[in-house]
Amino acid sequence: MMKRRKFEWGYLLLIPGIGYIVFFVIASLYIMVAQSFGFYNYTGSSEFSLTFWQNVFTRTFFDDLWFSFRTALLTALVSIVICYPLSLLMQKIPGRKTFLSILKIPMFVPALVASFLIVNIIDYHGIINIVLVKLGFIEEPLRLRNDPAGIGALVVQIWKNVPFQMIIMYSAIEAVRKDVKDAAANLGANRFAILKEIILPITLPSALVAVIMVFIRTFNDFAISKTAGPYYPTSISNLMYLHAYTFGDWNTSACIGVMMMVTSIVFVSFYTYISKKIAD
Amino acid sequence: MTTRLIVNGIDKTFGDFQALSDVSFTIEPGQFVTLLGPSGCGKTTLLRVIAGFLEPEKGEILFGDKVMNDVPPNKRNTAMCFQSYALFPHKTVYENIIFGLRMRKVSADEQRKRVKEVMEMVDLVGLENRKPYELSGGQQQRVALARAIIVRPEILLFDEPLSNLDAKLREKVRVDIRNIQHSLGITTVYVTHDQAEALAISDVVIAMNKGRIVQKSDPKTIYNRPSTKFVADFIGSANITPGTCTEFAGSTAVVDSLYGVLRVQAADLTPGEEAFLCIRPEDFVPIFAENAPHAVNVVTGSVLHAVYMGNSLDLFVKVNDHVVRISAAKDCPIPEGSQISFTVQPDKICVMKG
Ligand SMILES: Nc1ncnc2c1ncn2[C@@H]1O[C@H](COP(=O)(O)OP(=O)(O)OP(=O)(O)O)[C@@H](O)[C@H]1O
Ligand SMILES: [Mg+2]
Repeated sequence: MMKRRKFEWGYLLLIPGIGYIVFFVIASLYIMVAQSFGFYNYTGSSEFSLTFWQNVFTRTFFDDLWFSFRTALLTALVSIVICYPLSLLMQKIPGRKTFLSILKIPMFVPALVASFLIVNIIDYHGIINIVLVKLGFIEEPLRLRNDPAGIGALVVQIWKNVPFQMIIMYSAIEAVRKDVKDAAANLGANRFAILKEIILPITLPSALVAVIMVFIRTFNDFAISKTAGPYYPTSISNLMYLHAYTFGDWNTSACIGVMMMVTSIVFVSFYTYISKKIAD
Repeated sequence: MTTRLIVNGIDKTFGDFQALSDVSFTIEPGQFVTLLGPSGCGKTTLLRVIAGFLEPEKGEILFGDKVMNDVPPNKRNTAMCFQSYALFPHKTVYENIIFGLRMRKVSADEQRKRVKEVMEMVDLVGLENRKPYELSGGQQQRVALARAIIVRPEILLFDEPLSNLDAKLREKVRVDIRNIQHSLGITTVYVTHDQAEALAISDVVIAMNKGRIVQKSDPKTIYNRPSTKFVADFIGSANITPGTCTEFAGSTAVVDSLYGVLRVQAADLTPGEEAFLCIRPEDFVPIFAENAPHAVNVVTGSVLHAVYMGNSLDLFVKVNDHVVRISAAKDCPIPEGSQISFTVQPDKICVMKG
């Protein structure tokens, strides 16, 4: 009895650490939702109103939402497809420690800097275009940056997210116990069978996590789509920014924010549900 | 298709640590061989070399007349029961056990038949759909065992496969392993810490120490005629004393030992030669004045402790400042502190040169 009581009181000790984080998270979420219904206005009257919600669902909103969603999903999937074989390969090669550190560099480059770096490479007068033109493959430089299809933004995102996923996948693959792989080989499994029967299924949960984390990161991205992405459609974060700072309409901006969160939550729940099914 | 296993001059080092030095032995087709030795002596390492997970720096592994050094593990047709179990964590018990059969493309019917058989043997029926983390240590160990046995390979390698089972189950499974191995004629290397187990099931026992083979003999010989002090001490309990030969006549030597002057039936000792004597506790027989008037090798001392072992009464007797262990009959009426005399037949004393 005594022990149990003590334990419960012990939770109070967490308050200085976790309490204020929880407070700010809940407070800001609350304010965002309230703002979307017309409260907490910085100027003018603050009263309940549905007008902002009525105005949110425009063509632009859906185009931008789709752009962010599509870029995020493609980034997450293409990155894992690149990163998984790379992580497998890295287990074996000599000097992999150095190689790994080099591969991690993009992670520490701020998104904006990364964008500018890549933009310089894929720009109208960028390295790729110059080389391609000089070699005579193309007459006119290609429009790789701010291209309407958003390939430029996608490339930057992948460049930045592959290393992030590699850290997860490399350790996940490395953590597969040697004796378990030995046991499989001992029972007659060749390299391919070991990969298919042992390594892939054991690391699948980590891969699913790696995908979802990159999805969320990319879905919320602002900087990269702003610099390397198309002018229209743009990212949903960019639309939010536009409403708040360019139009001064914080309420609509809050509506968009709420929609971003809802989309994320719906997607993550759906994804978690599917991955549970796959994992079983 | 039973196979002879030849291990020929194997050296294996980890960094600058020599885990195996010049290990050589031959196991005849269908033989059951036990590796016995203290922790860290290289038993697992040797099995891993045979299975092909470790490459030796020197020496050869042969299955029959095929040199296996360059054959990858999955082509060696061995099955190993790992000391660490090495179960597939994401697969169920059933999937773990049939893995080897699937890799060998055994027909589904045959798979089902054999799974049923081994599951019954290791007493796992009903746990088919559990994952390894849902099993107790002993149950996991039995899955590891079943997974190896089911494939019926040329060579079976067991690394302490029963260490986590209770005494009863251990005895049953041990007999089952022996039966399967015997009926299929699978050449088997079996690692154990349990010397009683080693003596009970093996055709041949190999004693190892510090990466070397010390003795390879049948169970009787290794127990009764250990070739070194290490083997005598490691297998069973032993009273070991240094001694000097003072006389040699016929086939009997007279040896001056810590326990007094003993007559020893010895092959080759010359007067003045030093050697060690090994006397098993159960070979000492307490004597009472009335029952042995002409006894040889009589030793006298005072009983320090009497320990009841269930099947015997073990006496620790102080003789010339040395403690001698004697296994007496369990109902022997000898109290602690009393003086007793005991004797040992000359042919029960083993002479060791090292
Ligand atoms: N991968 C390794 N790297 C370095 N040293 C190792 C490695 N594997 C084993 N050793 C060393 O080699 C020696 C033999 O190890 P091994 O596992 O064969 O012992 P063992 O006889 O099986 O012992 P136990 O009865 O405790 O299982 C030990 O001293 C161990 O520390
Ligand atoms: Mg071992």
